[in-house]
Amino acid sequence: MSTPVLEARDVSMVFGGLKALKGVTLTLDEGKIVGLIGPNGAGKTTFFNCLTGLYTPTTGQVLLKGNVLPGDPAQVTDAGVARTFQNIRLFPSMTVLENVMVGRHVRMKQGPLASLFHGPAYHRGEKAARERSRELLAFVGLNNLDDELSRNLPYGDQRRLEIARALATDPAVLLLDEPTAGMNPQETEATQQLIFRIRETGVSVVVIEHDIKFIFGLCDSVSVLVQGELLVEGSPEVVRADPRVVEAYLGKPPEEVQHDVEAAAASAEEEQA
Amino acid sequence: MSTSTVSTPDTTTPVEKRSALAPLGKPFAAAGGVLGIVAALLPWVTFTLNDGNWPDKSTLQFFDAPFAVTGFRWHVLLLGVLILVAAFAPTPSKGRVVRALGWGLTLVSFVNAAYITVKGGGLGAITALDGVTAFGSIVGLVAGVLAILAGYGIGIEPVGEWKFKVSTPVAYLVLLVSFAAVLYAVAAMLTTGGVGTSNPYSGAIFLSFLGFAAGVLGALSGVGFIRWLSALSEQHRVFSVIVLAACALLLPFTDAGNEYWMTVAANIGIYAATAIGLNIVVGLAGLLDLGYVAFMGIGALVAANFSGAATAHFGITLPFPVAAVAAAIVAGIFGAIVGSPTLRVRGDYLAIVTLAFGEIFTRSAQNNIGGITNGSNAIPGIPPLSLFGNEFNKSITLGAVKLPAGVLYYILIVLLVAATMAVFANLKFSRIGRAWIAIREDEDAARAMGIRTGKMKILAFLIGATLAGLAGAVFAHKNGTVSYESFKFLESVTLLAAVILGGMGSIPGAVLGAALLFVLPEKLRDFEDYRLMIFGLALILIMRFRPVGLIPDAHRRAEMIERADENAEEAHVEAKKA
Amino acid sequence: MSVLLQQLANGVIQGALIALIALGYTMVYGIIQLINFAHGEVFMVASYGGLATFTLLPDDLKKSPAVALPLMFVGGIVVAVLVAVIMERFAYRPLRNAPRLAPLITALGVSVFLQEAVRVWYPNATSNLPYPKVFPEGSLSLGSVNIAWTGVLLVGLSVGLSVILQTYINKSRMGRAMRATAQDPDTAKLMGVNPDRVIVLTFIFGAVLAGVAGVMFGGYLNNINIDMGFQNGIFAFTAAVLGGVGSIRGAVIGAFIIGLIKTLAGQYMPGGTQYDYVWIFVVLILVLVFRPQGLFGEPERVRA
Repeated sequence: MSTPVLEARDVSMVFGGLKALKGVTLTLDEGKIVGLIGPNGAGKTTFFNCLTGLYTPTTGQVLLKGNVLPGDPAQVTDAGVARTFQNIRLFPSMTVLENVMVGRHVRMKQGPLASLFHGPAYHRGEKAARERSRELLAFVGLNNLDDELSRNLPYGDQRRLEIARALATDPAVLLLDEPTAGMNPQETEATQQLIFRIRETGVSVVVIEHDIKFIFGLCDSVSVLVQGELLVEGSPEVVRADPRVVEAYLGKPPEEVQHDVEAAAASAEEEQA
Repeated sequence: MSTSTVSTPDTTTPVEKRSALAPLGKPFAAAGGVLGIVAALLPWVTFTLNDGNWPDKSTLQFFDAPFAVTGFRWHVLLLGVLILVAAFAPTPSKGRVVRALGWGLTLVSFVNAAYITVKGGGLGAITALDGVTAFGSIVGLVAGVLAILAGYGIGIEPVGEWKFKVSTPVAYLVLLVSFAAVLYAVAAMLTTGGVGTSNPYSGAIFLSFLGFAAGVLGALSGVGFIRWLSALSEQHRVFSVIVLAACALLLPFTDAGNEYWMTVAANIGIYAATAIGLNIVVGLAGLLDLGYVAFMGIGALVAANFSGAATAHFGITLPFPVAAVAAAIVAGIFGAIVGSPTLRVRGDYLAIVTLAFGEIFTRSAQNNIGGITNGSNAIPGIPPLSLFGNEFNKSITLGAVKLPAGVLYYILIVLLVAATMAVFANLKFSRIGRAWIAIREDEDAARAMGIRTGKMKILAFLIGATLAGLAGAVFAHKNGTVSYESFKFLESVTLLAAVILGGMGSIPGAVLGAALLFVLPEKLRDFEDYRLMIFGLALILIMRFRPVGLIPDAHRRAEMIERADENAEEAHVEAKKA
Repeated sequence: MSVLLQQLANGVIQGALIALIALGYTMVYGIIQLINFAHGEVFMVASYGGLATFTLLPDDLKKSPAVALPLMFVGGIVVAVLVAVIMERFAYRPLRNAPRLAPLITALGVSVFLQEAVRVWYPNATSNLPYPKVFPEGSLSLGSVNIAWTGVLLVGLSVGLSVILQTYINKSRMGRAMRATAQDPDTAKLMGVNPDRVIVLTFIFGAVLAGVAGVMFGGYLNNINIDMGFQNGIFAFTAAVLGGVGSIRGAVIGAFIIGLIKTLAGQYMPGGTQYDYVWIFVVLILVLVFRPQGLFGEPERVRA
């Protein structure tokens, strides 16, 4: 059995007296999409922040291809884990292309001297970075918008730009924090297709999402986080069938949630068929 | 029920307001333009002022000599004509242009009217007195206000965007002409109203000229020309820096080529170089530094102590280039030290840390720490630089042309400014520059992109401080004396103001900002007492009305930059083949 | 030993003065996250306002401290409040939503402007001006330690006013509105709090305290100059940061610590009083680097 590309072992996080995460374990195999769902305040974003080095877990560790990740977001990105943010965080007064080129930062060799004296190596490097950035923009479907300021883009395009920017760091793992928040059904559908295409390029993906239907239709495996604890983990079918999920999720009366979950699963199957 | 309808008038008011003025736009502009021309031809003063003729024949009667309008009246005439042209020719964002010209007209008229009234003893001076009439200034003011209103009537659209591209030779030509015009404007700015005290009215003449310049600049900016030119010069930045430096080197051959202005221009240059260094820290990386002038002080102290001056602490005399490099390195090290708290401190708090470092420097220097600053006695008698036996503060003769004293310092400093500009421009368009801007925009997101933010911020402080240290070394030799008094908190604020006034992140902005802030006090000796007060007020007003500065950082056009890169690379490849 | 006790007493008095100014910094920062750099100048202007009030009094009133002194306080406070309200309305309020550097730079501009305005327009303000002798004279002797009565008054006023302020903010309706605005201006607005009023009120409170401080400064040191605002403003700001910006109690305690550092460092550290400023700045840097939330502030959590 090969080592999983990303593995969180028994991660706990305590803020003051508050236990935000209690021994969460998550495994992401290469070329898979894992979904993370749970009610508000379940600790999903905290968990993400632990994965990306923004927080150092109180106990437990995060491994990328068997190596422990450093506790610093920049080094985590360098190691190969890229992320997007729940509330989009682009560089607003940089252009679309520049935003993606910032993503190339860790993969460019240009040192201070080359930055200071623009020699031939500088021009080659800049050109390569620009071409790669263009490719990624085309990949997410943002053509001919290079010179727009990113703050002027419509909401859906900003989400896609953020994904392109994250992909520019050549990640092994991409973490998406609510990539469809605020999107209409068409945009959500397009995002799903985009994530499938990202998987095809060999990047493994972790997605946080509220939209159960979206998650069940997208993921190879789903983890349910409730009050900082991992409740269930398994394929969408397993998770859907688990009565504890039904019971705990969103605190709704069981029947109602059961109905939601089934409906979602059914429609997801239809789409896959 | 009534509460629900309250919000409706709110949304319609601006539209109504505009529609009230809209039909009057063109007629007001026409009236403003014509009245402006009339104002230029009317007399402005009813009698001759005590200190001599108010400049440029302001008692002139219309039919005496209609072609003899000069000075401020020539400016008024020009503004009037431009208003007519802008209003009736197809002009992009017409409203903005007419409004800017209107402001120019208003300012020129106001400055002259106010000065004549105050100096001439009452309103009689600018209306009618003893049977003589002089309504020029009043007509000018009316014309200006009409034009401003006309601007609002026509409508304030967004600044025009020039999409078209030009071939390289044309771009070079445009840049050449523009920079030559800038040179002319600078020379005119320096020499208007004469040198120092030779003309009693120099302060007012200068202010009037500034009003005119502001109007024209505003109009050019409104048309979108400034933005376009800015983008063009960033595209051809190497060429721009060379041409700009060449233009600056021609200044000694203009009217401003005398010892006085060479000295002033050299001082401006030193501060401009320092301001560009600060612009890296503040404009690119977004780190507010309130103690920046300390690095210039450190550089100056290092250079002074190795200069062989009698009171220098070290008995060693280093040649200037070595001393300058040492000054830059020492300042850079201090920059990295001052910058190191950025690893833990952000935003406003960082500004306070830099302020604290600046104050520690001032206090320590004042108390002659380690015997290297000489405290309040300063380090005087720093020898001037010399090259091939020519001392930099003496005049030199090139063939038949005798150049004014101080011209060598001026040249050295122009080269220094050009070098700093090149450093700034190259860094801005590099991996490091993008990282800085990313940090400025959103530090957490920048870290998530793999940028080692702490390292990058310290690097910004280090480079900024190095440039300041270098400028400080030149400062020491140029002025001959180094005292802690030159490097106090207010100087840091002034440098910061130069950066902000010019436009954060923009290079021509930093030079223009430094020029304005250091020329104004020279020009406004009449108002010496009010200088700092005006300065404080200006900071408030700029932040309120134009926080982006006079020449804002152009929205960079990635494809233009790319084209420059590809051209450069092709050139390299071809060079290799050959 | 007696030197130490005397310096401790001096430090407490310095601290009391700094506390009055620091409260203005801390409250404004707590509400709108603005380092109101010009607050030190409000204190300076108040001092001149008090002096001007005295100068304008008729001669017979000048001789009666019981009338002149309260009037000077009123004069100083009125001037301070006017300046603060105008400054808030015309310089800061239009920038409420501007990028963060903008208001800070505006504050620098206001600071320079106020200082210069006093220098140019107040008669003879270019040199030190003597403060009238209407304050209680003499001193309180405790063993070998002498404490001027003005110093005692200063400490009393400072502690008393901060207790009143703290109580007001904790107990009153307006105080609750202030705390709500500080926590979350948008939600507070939805709950019917008028943020503009709260902010103006915050500036007014700060100005009143600075007004008292300005007049007491003159009374304690006997003369005033236009540099007093910048220097004491920096001390006060340091105190506010040391205590944890936003915390009333923190600002007061921080101020006493700064006062003590200044006098003790002047006495015992190398370089003496010439370097007492430097030590305060060193403390400021160390606090900002190692405990930016201050002694009583809460650590800011990283947000993603």
